Amino acid sequence: MIRDVIVTILYNRIAVFRAERGVSRRELAEAVGVNNQTIGYLERGDYKPSLELAMKIAVYFDVPIELIFSFRPFEPVADTLRRAAAAGERP
Amino acid sequence: MTLLQKMDRLVYATRLDRLIFMKFQPRTFRWTPLLVMAVLVAGYVLMARTASSPGRSFLIGSVIFYGAFMVAVFLRLFGPRFAGPALDERELMVKSRAYAVSGIVLASFAMMSCFYMAVASAGLWGLWQPHAMSDWITLGFGFQAAGNLLPTWIASWIEPRPAADEDD
Repeated sequence: MIRDVIVTILYNRIAVFRAERGVSRRELAEAVGVNNQTIGYLERGDYKPSLELAMKIAVYFDVPIELIFSFRPFEPVADTLRRAAAAGERP
Repeated sequence: MTLLQKMDRLVYATRLDRLIFMKFQPRTFRWTPLLVMAVLVAGYVLMARTASSPGRSFLIGSVIFYGAFMVAVFLRLFGPRFAGPALDERELMVKSRAYAVSGIVLASFAMMSCFYMAVASAGLWGLWQPHAMSDWITLGFGFQAAGNLLPTWIASWIEPRPAADEDD
């Protein structure tokens, strides 16, 4: 089953990380050395990055690569916060 | 104001700086190249039909053909980016795919044209073939225009619709 997912979609949370850090597409694009349209295509899922670009983005946000890219859809942020609140954690 | 300053101002006033320094956003042309190719063919046919005794039709054909030729050059400049100092990995991928596919298409077309010429030169079925020098020269320019239009057209289909630029 995962094989079917691998060949079709690579999910990413670039837009979420950008919003959280207050980084514009242009800033991220300049930091990782691509055109800012490419960041837009990545966020929209229209382009799958090379391993090098994916790692540069992960390094830029200082998180492991699997927190940004995944073969499975990411949990919505609202669900994560709700779960954290229910567990008594600070969101 | 010195002459150089005046020339500088002229470049910015005519917006040539956008063209020279590639400051414009690339555009996709998904149908225009096909239209330009059709116009090229129409111009060529008009010229070839009257190449033996050039007259008004030949002139009109020339204007149509070379007008379309110029449009092909500009479409390549304003279409998906193929040149420039900073093509990123996605643009390089689009460029290489577009050139690979158009190379195959052009090579196949050239091969089919050779077979056609073989049949036409044998005088079978009264097929037309280029005779005059202008026929061949125009055909060469036609190939050059196709070499500009095909990659632009293919890259325009490979390239996704532009993402809304939130920063602008």
